[in-house]
Amino acid sequence: MSRPVIGLTTYAEEARFGLNDTFAAVLPLAYVQAVHNSGGRAVLITPDTPDVDVLDGLDGILFTGGSDVDPALYGEEPHPTTHVKPERDAAEMLLMRAALEADLPTLAICRGMQLMAVVYGGRLHQHLPDVLGHDNHRPVSGPKFGIHPVELAQGSLAHAVLGDAVEVNSFHHQGVADPGKLTATGWCPEDNLIEVVEDPALRFAIGVQWHPEDTTDHRLFAALTAAARGAA
Amino acid sequence: MRPIVGITSYVEPASWGVWTEQEAVLVRRSYVDAVKAAGGRAVLLPPDDLDGDVVGALDALIIAGGADISPELYGERPGPLTVSNPERDRAEWVLLREALADGLPVLGICRGMQLLAVAHGGRLHQHLPDVVGTDKHRPAPGVYGSHGVTLSPDSLAAAVVGDGPDDDGHVEVNTYHHQAVADPGTLAVTARADDGVVEAVEDPAKPYVLGVQWHPEEAGDLRIFEALVAAARSSHGVPVPRPRMAQGGQPTTVRTGQAAPPAHERAAHRRGRAHRGTRVATGIHKTANRAGRGARGGRPPTIV
Repeated sequence: MSRPVIGLTTYAEEARFGLNDTFAAVLPLAYVQAVHNSGGRAVLITPDTPDVDVLDGLDGILFTGGSDVDPALYGEEPHPTTHVKPERDAAEMLLMRAALEADLPTLAICRGMQLMAVVYGGRLHQHLPDVLGHDNHRPVSGPKFGIHPVELAQGSLAHAVLGDAVEVNSFHHQGVADPGKLTATGWCPEDNLIEVVEDPALRFAIGVQWHPEDTTDHRLFAALTAAARGAA
Repeated sequence: MRPIVGITSYVEPASWGVWTEQEAVLVRRSYVDAVKAAGGRAVLLPPDDLDGDVVGALDALIIAGGADISPELYGERPGPLTVSNPERDRAEWVLLREALADGLPVLGICRGMQLLAVAHGGRLHQHLPDVVGTDKHRPAPGVYGSHGVTLSPDSLAAAVVGDGPDDDGHVEVNTYHHQAVADPGTLAVTARADDGVVEAVEDPAKPYVLGVQWHPEEAGDLRIFEALVAAARSSHGVPVPRPRMAQGGQPTTVRTGQAAPPAHERAAHRRGRAHRGTRVATGIHKTANRAGRGARGGRPPTIV
């Protein structure tokens, strides 16, 4: 049986690699390895409008991390620390709406989860240290990730995949203030920040604030791939 | 409905935004932009050699530039200046094999052209300055060269590049490579540089299987990409169940020879990939072993 094809949204950035210093389409390899290790076949989707034809060949989609979501999309002025990529926002909003409309299995990570909340009418905290009074979700002085627990709601998709609680790796300075029409199903017990959102009306639509691709715990990818296989 | 064009990609440490020296999947954005400007929808294909099933989600394939092809694939030992990436070789071999068997339009650029030649039984010059006596095909690290090429009349290369400013099939191209095609295998050579170096190869029996040694994506020459997208629209082969294909066997593909089917039919085709006929699972691992034997006693096998 063919492996399900999972689309991964991709950065378009000025990048330096080898002898190159150029505009590139680029994505951390860890996302690809997590999908391949979980039985999927990754293809990378660059920011592109105006249509969503690319969804046609996909069995599932993964919205990856990256820059801040443009606050204009939830009706706010940008905070001084907010850095946006409007091209990526426009392309991914379009893709996400179409993917959800088609009930395509969807996993959203970090920025992806925040975008998902905005797509569902929610809004974000633009700079968590201003709200929480600490930088544990993106420590200013290394190591790269902040580590903290997340507790998951009984009966949720997140609970079915991950159990009562997980220890997670965080790297974000924004957070979900209002999940809109999504259901929040996971929180950091230390500050009650929302860490997981999902749409229980869909087969598989879940966003997490941390970075499972940079851990050895790939259960969320395995669950995405399993849902995508059901769609194939 | 835009055709979906898969582009093979690098895995390298890269630095961008807040990230430094992060292992990443990437290609120069010029490839993506060229496909988009030509009316296609680009997706990137990270290296993966498990199977070529992803070809079922594509309408065309671009094998992008990059490292040297492993000389073992054409039965030679690596020269002192040959730097290859076996992971990419394996992955692209699997993809190329599947794409050719499925009748997908294929464009090979630089390294991609060299892989096309090797896949059709050809072999490469491992260090071109040793052969032509100059480094004009790669003047310096990170610097493109420029030289003339002459295109064969009536070839696909000539059709998509044009006759040049003087209508004589002579055009100027950008160039950045230190290896080159020594033997195109079963492909036809349809462009040569002024010094005789092979600059384009193609399969005259296919609507669009073309390799170019230069970099049209960097030159902003969209015609090659527009022709690829047009071929993806109009000549998408309809795969039929086929028996297990022996090495060197012929792919079984029915060409409709008609205009592009409606979007929903093509969608059904893509969705139906799980039900397609028996796949040729033989990867490059086995082929590489054979190539090793071939180095001692005969030519390595071809994939088409």
